[in-house]
Amino acid sequence: MSAVDLSQFHKTFFDESREGLDAMEAALLALDAGSADTELVHTIFRAAHSIKGGAATFGFTDVAAFTHVAESLLEEVRSGRRPVDAELTELLLRSVDCLRVMLDRSSSGQPVVDAASEDLRAELVRLVSGATAAVATPVTSAAANVTGWEIVFTALPHLLQTGNDPLRLFRELQQLGRLEVVRAFIVDAAPERLAEVDPTACYLGWVLHLHGNVARADVDAVFDWLDGDCELVIHPLAEPPVATVAGVLAAAEGSPSPLPLPLQRRRATDTAAGSKPESAAVSVEGSSIRVGIDKIDALINMMGELVITQSMLSEIGETFQPSQLTRLREGLVQLERNTRELQESVMRIRMLPIGSIFNRFPRLVHDLERKLGKRVKLELHGEHTELDKTVLEKIGDPLVHLVRNAIDHGLESPERRRAAGKSETGTLRLDAYHEGSNIVVQISDDGAGLNREAIIAKALHSGLINASQELGDADVAELIFQPGFSTAAAATDLSGRGVGMDVVRRNVRDLGGSVGVRSVSGKGSTFTIALPLTLAIIDGLVTAVGDERYIVPLISIVESLRLRSDSVRRIAGGGEVFHFRDAYLPILRLHQAFACADAVTDIERGIVVVVEEDGRRVGLLVDDLLGQQQAVVKSLEAHYRRVQGVSGATILSDGSVALIVDVGGVVRLGRPCKAA
Amino acid sequence: MPPAASVEPLQAALVISAAVAEPAADVTAAPVALVLPADCRIAAQVALKQALMEALETDAIVLDGRAVERADTAALQLLTLFQREVKARGSCLSWCGASDALNEAAGLLGLTQILELPAAALA
Repeated sequence: MSAVDLSQFHKTFFDESREGLDAMEAALLALDAGSADTELVHTIFRAAHSIKGGAATFGFTDVAAFTHVAESLLEEVRSGRRPVDAELTELLLRSVDCLRVMLDRSSSGQPVVDAASEDLRAELVRLVSGATAAVATPVTSAAANVTGWEIVFTALPHLLQTGNDPLRLFRELQQLGRLEVVRAFIVDAAPERLAEVDPTACYLGWVLHLHGNVARADVDAVFDWLDGDCELVIHPLAEPPVATVAGVLAAAEGSPSPLPLPLQRRRATDTAAGSKPESAAVSVEGSSIRVGIDKIDALINMMGELVITQSMLSEIGETFQPSQLTRLREGLVQLERNTRELQESVMRIRMLPIGSIFNRFPRLVHDLERKLGKRVKLELHGEHTELDKTVLEKIGDPLVHLVRNAIDHGLESPERRRAAGKSETGTLRLDAYHEGSNIVVQISDDGAGLNREAIIAKALHSGLINASQELGDADVAELIFQPGFSTAAAATDLSGRGVGMDVVRRNVRDLGGSVGVRSVSGKGSTFTIALPLTLAIIDGLVTAVGDERYIVPLISIVESLRLRSDSVRRIAGGGEVFHFRDAYLPILRLHQAFACADAVTDIERGIVVVVEEDGRRVGLLVDDLLGQQQAVVKSLEAHYRRVQGVSGATILSDGSVALIVDVGGVVRLGRPCKAA
Repeated sequence: MPPAASVEPLQAALVISAAVAEPAADVTAAPVALVLPADCRIAAQVALKQALMEALETDAIVLDGRAVERADTAALQLLTLFQREVKARGSCLSWCGASDALNEAAGLLGLTQILELPAAALA
């Protein structure tokens, strides 16, 4: 290989390949819908082609080999030699999935090929007309930048009886490159005693390293005739071959047969190989973001404005006279505007269109339609709505769950739809739009709506409600978000995996958002998720506790009130509670929780801020409310360490540091009081 | 492997076997070198196994692989399994030489060391 370290480009390769796969998938789904658009075929072909090229360049031989076969198939489609049918698109969609897995494995350094991918590759090869060998050869020669292959070859007992001899195979391998027998072993199935040994059966296995610039197809060709006579696993050698003593000796003697490594070293390599995938899988790539050039240009423009304002201000500052006060004020206003715009633009860099999540859904819907025998028309609206990358990454799974739910439980089967006088094809609509500083995502279906009776029956059964309770529609809808609730009578592979709506709600809550449902019986249901646009800035209430300032996220605040001392009850165990909207809430004194000196201890003189998290409420006693402020969240964990009850820190306008109260953590702190 | 190399261990093995033979003279099975056939391939293995089974009954087993002209995986596998059993019984196996063909095949299959062929001993 050249001196250039190609590994620095791997991340880009993986990112681009995944985008390519997304494009392939989208185009395949469009093809599937009956379109005979040649441009779509070209798109698919181009994507496959670039993945293959990249994979070959960066030495991901297995990916390249796999893609090559798919590409050969696509070439036939492109040249009109093969019609597009459902079977073909299905196979190609599965190939897309398989390639995704292969890329994931490559990026975490795990073995890329497994039985499933090999089966799929074989299926593709079978479909491609013409000779198999002719197909495989060009890829591998293009992708032969590997240092060699590790071949784990275990003979099946009847191997020798078929006239095949490993000795002959090894001799052939030797023609390809330097063959090193890392380990020869007797299989576990071999009889313990010589007396029981069948001399014509084979009980041996080998771990071989074939060093050199060898094409995969050539290795495969050696084992071509052994199909069903042995177990064979072939991986590319990850590292450049280590010059083992045995290897050096073999080379020195000019002997073609290197000696096996001593047992100890073999063990060492075994364990290393065994533990490697785990540790590699744990390693996380530093995440990156791709930003449109227009956003960067906007930033540069704003920087320019800021520099102009700054020079204007410093000019005033140098020769300041009271008459210039108006100009100074103007300058400061301009500075404020520049800063705000700059902040918005910088935040926008982290903003990505929700379309990247929405694009998963056509495929999901396609698969679910087949699996459940339903017909679904998917409508996507507002794909260009942008939201913070962090929020975007975390909202994917809850959305997928809601979409699955809508198709699995919401939409009826074509027969039932017809019986209900609706069109056989159900409509699933995804909407995304901005509302204030929130992004709202709606998932609506025109299915049967929530089944009130089933939900109530189930809730009664699991003890969430009792029979005497009168429930409004909203209360019933609320029930499905309760932990441990699932109406699916029979657990399909979609539902019944222990992930319910409560998990969706928790995930959304973790992002500072909310999720709700509206349902009309027979007309369908709409799930609405509202999320803050970013997690980097929160709206908070600045409170004073002693000399300290704490910020309570506005979203969790229910109410702030001053209590009279006679409305506070002391309870056994030292807790304090107060009466609030038909319930008793525990009082958590923030000065006690955070050990602040000089704080107000008299409840009458302080203020109680009622906060809510996970449906639990507590009253936080603070000295005073200082005002509302947008706080840029700085991680405390990154700079100091994790502190219970604190989610982060921010810097106030006077330069002092204020801690942001983690309402969930504080509520948990307050829980023992409630229990008492 | 030059032919000369196999001569030395041969002599050594002969000496050892002779030394062992003297005190063990009145034991039923005297350590006689078991000569592997020239065509030591799969067809010869049933007979070879029989011979090896008998050799197992002795404490010190000597194999003579000098005559081997052709060997295959079946042969080397049988010898490997034989060696394993010898070890398990606490007996000892020595070679009074091995032909190039035998060494080459064992080397290629990565069995030289397990079999403790003379070549491996020298290396």
